[in-house]
Amino acid sequence: MSLKQKGACLYNLLGFRAFKLDLSCRKERVKMLRRSALLVLLLVLFTALLSTAVVAQDGEITLNVIGFVVPLEEQGTPLDQAYQQFIADFEAAHPGVKINALQTPPEFDTQLLVDLAAGTAPDVWSQDASSLARLIDSGYVLDMNECLALVPELDLERFFPSVLAIHQREEGGPIYGVPNDFTPMVIYYSTKALERAGVEPPQAGWTWDEFVEYAKLVTLDANGNNAASPDFDPNNVVQWGFRVRKWTFEWIYRLWQNGGDVIAPDGSTASGYLDSPESIEAITWLRDLVTVHKVAPPPDTLSQMLQQLGFLDRFLLGDFAMFDRGHWELVGLRANQNYEPGAFGVVGQPQNVARATVLYESSFVIRADIPEEKKLAACQFVAAATDRGYQDTKVLTGIAISGNRAAAEAAIEQSFDPVLEQAFFDEVEFGRPPYGSIYANWPTIEELLDSMMERILAGGDVEAEVATAVREINRELSRR
Amino acid sequence: MYDRVENQTMLQDSAATAPPAPSPSASQPLFVPRKNLWQRFWSRSNERIGYLFILPSLVHIIAFLFIPLVFSFFLSFRDWTRPSFQDAPYIGLGNYEFLMGDNRFWQAISNSIYYTVLAVPMGMAFSLVIALVMNQKLKGVNLFRTLFFMPVVSSWVAVSIIWLTLLDPNVGIVNYVLGLFGISGPNWLGDPRSAMPSIALIAIWKGAGFNMVIWLAGLQSIPQELYEAAAIDGANRWQSFWRITLPLLAPTTFFLAVTGIIGSLQVFTPVYVLTRGGPLDSTNTAVFHIYRRAFQEFDFGYASAQSWVLFAIIFAVTVIQVGLRRRREEIQY
Repeated sequence: MSLKQKGACLYNLLGFRAFKLDLSCRKERVKMLRRSALLVLLLVLFTALLSTAVVAQDGEITLNVIGFVVPLEEQGTPLDQAYQQFIADFEAAHPGVKINALQTPPEFDTQLLVDLAAGTAPDVWSQDASSLARLIDSGYVLDMNECLALVPELDLERFFPSVLAIHQREEGGPIYGVPNDFTPMVIYYSTKALERAGVEPPQAGWTWDEFVEYAKLVTLDANGNNAASPDFDPNNVVQWGFRVRKWTFEWIYRLWQNGGDVIAPDGSTASGYLDSPESIEAITWLRDLVTVHKVAPPPDTLSQMLQQLGFLDRFLLGDFAMFDRGHWELVGLRANQNYEPGAFGVVGQPQNVARATVLYESSFVIRADIPEEKKLAACQFVAAATDRGYQDTKVLTGIAISGNRAAAEAAIEQSFDPVLEQAFFDEVEFGRPPYGSIYANWPTIEELLDSMMERILAGGDVEAEVATAVREINRELSRR
Repeated sequence: MYDRVENQTMLQDSAATAPPAPSPSASQPLFVPRKNLWQRFWSRSNERIGYLFILPSLVHIIAFLFIPLVFSFFLSFRDWTRPSFQDAPYIGLGNYEFLMGDNRFWQAISNSIYYTVLAVPMGMAFSLVIALVMNQKLKGVNLFRTLFFMPVVSSWVAVSIIWLTLLDPNVGIVNYVLGLFGISGPNWLGDPRSAMPSIALIAIWKGAGFNMVIWLAGLQSIPQELYEAAAIDGANRWQSFWRITLPLLAPTTFFLAVTGIIGSLQVFTPVYVLTRGGPLDSTNTAVFHIYRRAFQEFDFGYASAQSWVLFAIIFAVTVIQVGLRRRREEIQY
């Protein structure tokens, strides 16, 4: 084909003239299209290769990490400085390793799934235990036994056994991540409310019956009568003894305290567990706090109260005597305008058959497909992040207890209230892993349990609602 | 013949606008055989320009609507709960079979239908009344038209947050005004009986301006002579409205009903901001349920199946509406 004819073909291809394409021109068009496609493909491959370069030309390794950058509004705070110091110290101690600390994106759980699917996930990140199971089941998290072999100073003895158990499904088996920080669920009490009721703070090791009696004593009506008094007016309560909500994360351990549970250990069924006599008794006990003993407000009353004033304000003002929460609540309480030193205390969970609580935890995990060249650096980073130096900074925010046992013990004396901190510490041995770290479909099950409890607190029959929930949970479990 | 004339015209047009092209070889006939679709497409310069103008939007629609739509359809036949799509096994109709017995999903559909029954008729009626008033030649009518339209252009999130305050059972202005008349206002968004009507009320308020504009267009297309003739015949205002206005607004009514139902069955934002599906799942609508299933429970395959079932329901409702309309027209004519 001559150059002139090729030009005519190109002209025709661009659509400026409506000549019929003869066979040679058609072939030329196909050739040109193929060449363009090949060029685009080569460009894409080249760009992809560039972006996946693991080791820079000078041999420096860059680790992408999430969980070591504060939000913009917290820049300059002690925590921000602690993060930066830690990273600087690590880079100084490990020449050739550069830490690229990334901001935690919004909707991190969802974003992480997208990044893992796309292969753009960070190398190391701080993972909430409540959504760990899905990542373990999908094989996206590195077995830390590999790190133990590479980095001898990463010693598992530094962690609380009950907290480390969150990451280990069987004794001697794989370890998916190591603890960063955590909290057991405890009971906060308002000293103002207790003073108004004229009672001493509760003590650890108390029973369910003692808890109910205590809650009655600290629930007061407008005339100053407590809920144990025959003159108590439940329609005119000005100080509530407790708060009960539908959220599973705030009541699941009640079942454990009574020897019950939600689903079978292998996650196959809820029958015989959620509908066991022990579980139903525990759920009924919880409901009775609202409907029988009148020590906790019904959901609609609670909702109305909170629309007027936030819960922490009410708690510090003594409108609520007790509520379930974790270590993280200390931050909000101490920042509240109604806070004064000694305004509240903490006590462990009451027991019935067993002493139990749940541990909510954040861990450090490494992605399973991390390149071999980066694995050592990532393991060293995790070892450093779980060691005394960095873990000692947990006391700066007080949002959670350090996963490093020695750091947690040292933090007791450094905290703003050592007695309060000790109460958290004492509860750890009774803590159990959250079910989100064990069952990948726990979010679906939790949704069903939340709905079940909401209907029960609104007056629904316990056995009927539990039966419905068991049916729905079993249906969900049967899909997997 | 047609091809010859067409080609001659095109050749003349092309010759007038384009630089000279190489002359056809002696073996190529002057009158070419009938062209295929692709050739006809490229030979019409005015259409080409039009397609080029809409190309960016077309690419956007294909990339962000069509491709996700098709992907969602294929996803509905897979069990995708893990990050990687390669780990999403094909399960055939498994998701749809499971869906048939999912009471929570059907309850959500029922809630969406309830919301639609509340919001659409009342919304149309309310906006028609406003349009009838705005159709008068009154001083400042354009200002009022603008004011009524302002909620339409406001963000749903901002509107929801404002209404959250207005409907507060203790300090909200709605209950305060009711209190002035001795009425004890309910816990609008906290009571399962009033939560959905409250959301419908907000939607009616927000959409009234848009519907008003559509009604106005319909009203202004009605010939004034009809009203004059009716007045001469002694018809009062109500009779004119019932016998002239309403029948002649039938196409507008149909349009608003169809689009209103389609939109209402997909309500999401006010539920997400105001009630999160509660209290007691009374405002758990279909799209909110699907959102929760996909992005909170990470069950993307099943959520895709749910969305396609919702699409089928909306499509069926629309087909029924169109069918009824056609039947009515056939009866009339």
